[in-house]
Amino acid sequence: MEPWVVELQGGKSDAAWDLFLDRYRRLVFAAIRYYAQDYDDIMDVFARVCESLRENDLERLRCYVDQPGHTAKFSTWLVTVVRHLTVDWFRHRDGRRRVSSIASTLPPLRQRIFEHVFLHKRSHGETYELICSTGEASLSFGEFLKELRATYNAVADGRRGSILRELLGPPPPEQVLVVSDESADDRRESLEFALRSLSPDERVAVELYVVDEMSAEAVAKVVGWSNAKAVYNHVYRALSAMRSYLSSLDGAGRPTGKI
Amino acid sequence: MNDIDRLEQLRGYFHTGEMPIATAECLDDGTIAALADGALPNEASPFALQHIAACPFCRRAVASVRELLNDRAITHEIDLLEGRAPGWRRIFKVAVPLAAAATLLVLLWSPSNDDVTHRGSGARSFPTPIGPRGTVANVERMEWSGVPGSDRYRVTVFTAQGGVVYETEGADTALTLPDSIQWSSGARYLWKVEARTGWNRWATSDLVDFTIVRAPPP
Repeated sequence: MEPWVVELQGGKSDAAWDLFLDRYRRLVFAAIRYYAQDYDDIMDVFARVCESLRENDLERLRCYVDQPGHTAKFSTWLVTVVRHLTVDWFRHRDGRRRVSSIASTLPPLRQRIFEHVFLHKRSHGETYELICSTGEASLSFGEFLKELRATYNAVADGRRGSILRELLGPPPPEQVLVVSDESADDRRESLEFALRSLSPDERVAVELYVVDEMSAEAVAKVVGWSNAKAVYNHVYRALSAMRSYLSSLDGAGRPTGKI
Repeated sequence: MNDIDRLEQLRGYFHTGEMPIATAECLDDGTIAALADGALPNEASPFALQHIAACPFCRRAVASVRELLNDRAITHEIDLLEGRAPGWRRIFKVAVPLAAAATLLVLLWSPSNDDVTHRGSGARSFPTPIGPRGTVANVERMEWSGVPGSDRYRVTVFTAQGGVVYETEGADTALTLPDSIQWSSGARYLWKVEARTGWNRWATSDLVDFTIVRAPPP
């Protein structure tokens, strides 16, 4: 048993906290640094993490320790808690302003694209039309696509990209860089229809593998399958079942008829 | 359209641009951590999987924790905490993918299998920029080494300040640059090439720099 747990169970919260922090400080910082670059941000998030873990006489730590049987490893649990608190800190502090400041280093046109697409959630087609109609720039659609891709690449770069991915969701693949007049709701509805035939674990596997780009090994762990090969088998079988759906897509990623 | 493109298109369809929002039913940190560790008890698993099948917020959390657990700085700290010599994972990262690659080869050989390139953690080849490099009088062509199995290359040229000067894609391992690019004499440029090695997987070269130094007019 780790010394901090002994102290905690002996009712010595302050001593337990000191020992805990001494042992896990570096891991906490490593998890925060995955998302934060700025020194002040890192220290502020660290303070928030400490505050949260110390709340109500170390309630969070106590809850973990008091569990009769542990499922996740303590290090995984701690990383999960730190991630949760870090993302919440960024989201609550000044979400939009912070996200805007991340884009402040981009050239003016890409800043405008960033504002339209990421902050105002406008479609790529709508963004192009707005930029042209307001006279912000005069460019062909091909040139616009190049600028759009460069904007995605810039904001998804490095650690800055990690927090943006959390705050804004994963960036779309290049295929979505075409104009689509379908709403997100319509697309999700079509997708739900196609996914309805899958079991929950198959569906989770498909989404984690396809959308979140997790490795097959990691997906196997999450859904409880034996190995990566099982993931390939299940996912590609599921995708084959959706083959008719795939073949009904036209070049712009829209269904051409009834699925 | 090949399977890689079709899968890319499917991924586009999954991307709805929706912002995942937490609900009262969302999983707690302990369950998220257990899912990421693959350690959820059998009795809790169906409920948790059913939830994350329908909840992008929790699914994102699980995926993020897995990403964190693969980050080198974090694995280094965990190895130290758990009394393992840092770097032991690298042995597995070489040995396991080699075994997996052999298995995959057998799978891909099967005529009934889709010709999709699987995404795993195997060792990858990277393209290497051949030229231009260093100080050059002019830049008309770019050339790089190919990557076996790659069907597409993406080249990006940057200014020293990080602005994109030129970007293009193609199947060849060389390209002729258009005359329209305005190179500045004496300025430093950087370029990289990415090779598509699978569906949504790109192997990126190191950044290579070059400076154009034109001879003064006579």
